[in-house]
Amino acid sequence: MIYLLEDTINGILMGSIYGLTALGLTVIFGVLKVINFAHGSLLMVAMYVTYWTVQMSGIHPYLSLVVVVPVMFVFGYYLQDIVIKPIFKAEKEVREPITVIIVTTGVWYILDNLTLLIFGPQYRNLQDNALRGKMFVLGDMLISVPKFWGFVTALVTAGLLYWFLQRTRIGRAIRATSLDREASSLMGISPYKVYNLAFGIGTATAGVAAVTLIPFYNVFPTVGVLFDIKGFIIVVLGGLGSIGGALLGGIIIGLIESVGPQFMAATWTEAIVYALFLVFLFLKPSGLFGVKYDW
Amino acid sequence: MTRRSINQSACLLVAVLALGLPLVMRSATYLHILILLYFYAYLTTSWNLVGGFAGVLPLGHAAFVGIGAYTSTILYLQYGVSPWLGMLVGGILATLVGILIGLPTFKMRGAYFALATIAFAEGIRVMIENIDRLGPFVINGPRGLQIPPLKLGLSNFMFAVKEPYYYIILIMLAAVLLLTYCISRSKLGYYLNAGGEEPEAAMALGVNVARAKLIAMAMSSFLTALAGTFYAQFTLYIHPKSVVSLDLSFEIAFIALIGGRGSIAGPVLGALLLRPVSDFSRIYFGDTVPGLHLIIFGVVLILVMLYQPRGLQEPLTRLYNRLVDRLAGTEGGEASA
Repeated sequence: MIYLLEDTINGILMGSIYGLTALGLTVIFGVLKVINFAHGSLLMVAMYVTYWTVQMSGIHPYLSLVVVVPVMFVFGYYLQDIVIKPIFKAEKEVREPITVIIVTTGVWYILDNLTLLIFGPQYRNLQDNALRGKMFVLGDMLISVPKFWGFVTALVTAGLLYWFLQRTRIGRAIRATSLDREASSLMGISPYKVYNLAFGIGTATAGVAAVTLIPFYNVFPTVGVLFDIKGFIIVVLGGLGSIGGALLGGIIIGLIESVGPQFMAATWTEAIVYALFLVFLFLKPSGLFGVKYDW
Repeated sequence: MTRRSINQSACLLVAVLALGLPLVMRSATYLHILILLYFYAYLTTSWNLVGGFAGVLPLGHAAFVGIGAYTSTILYLQYGVSPWLGMLVGGILATLVGILIGLPTFKMRGAYFALATIAFAEGIRVMIENIDRLGPFVINGPRGLQIPPLKLGLSNFMFAVKEPYYYIILIMLAAVLLLTYCISRSKLGYYLNAGGEEPEAAMALGVNVARAKLIAMAMSSFLTALAGTFYAQFTLYIHPKSVVSLDLSFEIAFIALIGGRGSIAGPVLGALLLRPVSDFSRIYFGDTVPGLHLIIFGVVLILVMLYQPRGLQEPLTRLYNRLVDRLAGTEGGEASA
């Protein structure tokens, strides 16, 4: 029983970090209406940036946010501006361009394999950072400290993002564009600038996720693929475009992965996740909190 | 010389070249590369039936390759059924699965359909990796299945040399190209095209878009599964990571997209241009620059999507047509003079 509770708590903690990795996906989808297949690779890049920042300076991993978030924002902003924008301009009429999915897949392949080329295939991790291997002892239960801080960070990030989109001028411009591109551009909002911003913000949240992962997770060139596929599942479960939905979707996946092995072979939980995903796609494609689109 | 006769002689030239190559080329390595090239051309052409003509983006075709490969291999190893028969059984099984995926997913648009097919293929991979025995069938989980090359011969689809494989996959490729040509000229082809470009308008005209897409999906999954059996018999060893991997699904889609989806020549051109890149970069740079061919794939994919969204077949077709025009023009001029 105590194990079940411990697994549940750890599942929620890890799940919220999964949710954090998927936040960027959902923001980008909400505005651009495309699934960014390169999101996992951007997370991977952010993890390398975090790793080297902490490795070379020796600061507390969470302090590296000051470096990682701006770097990733700029990276995402210009990735959208240079690579993806031309396609939007070419396919103005298409509401949900498949071509963009394909291009982001190309970006994924390039980033993953360039990293492989530069840093090699080996797994890297921060051996002696302030959080590694630390545990809270709660009665008979062990709760991972870095995952706990990841959980807190996920909640804070989602809250900030929500506040930003609801309350600030730029946030309103972003939401207006996501609701109606033509009408908002008639109001003087440049849609392409908003796309760049949204992409930058989405990539920056991947940077935040990378910082929470680094204290206890390995970095390697294909680490993004794991989170990529999970991210797709999470955002569809939670509802594409919904911030709270992404967190909830992440927690569902985290719970299945951590509680599931009590009842079955651990490798089977992956199959359960895919099955759940397909059931949702077929029965309720708009997800738990999603806006109803005319799919 | 008329345009028609030029086209005919060009086709004849290609056919003679393809048929005669193994007689000239004695290197087993190059033959192997060529066989895989045709294998990919076959796969992408089959993919194109649904990914190109139906205007959706399936990213899980490796599932069908896996179903074909595993079905025929299990039937052969455990029951001694000839792989040729197993190929058909695998194809029929894949068709059923394809229809099962298509029924609910064709209602969805672009991104959702792509995600559903990925999840489906990955789910099948996870299942194969986790199951050692499924009822009476030994699947062998992540270790895969090996076919001992004991009884060689046409009836067992096993040969000591590569030439027979070359001709088998060549015939399969020619057949699927012919099928694609027929479909593109048929009512079904027009339905698919209309449904892919303007679904609302097509439906308003009474075209049953969903049904047309479902037929395309059924054919595509059937044909893809046949290639799975071919692969199993060619390499004599299959495991989940080789035949049901996400990488394979993506590579099929990439080659078709770069070549030009929705055209007949596009997928073949894509395989013709990209497979050598991937093979030779692995031969020469495999240890110094791992993943070089994937970087090249990514860059080419982005450039093609930016500047030639209809694929490389478009400028090449234009070039070919201009060449034919010039030939026909000058020849015609001489004849009249």
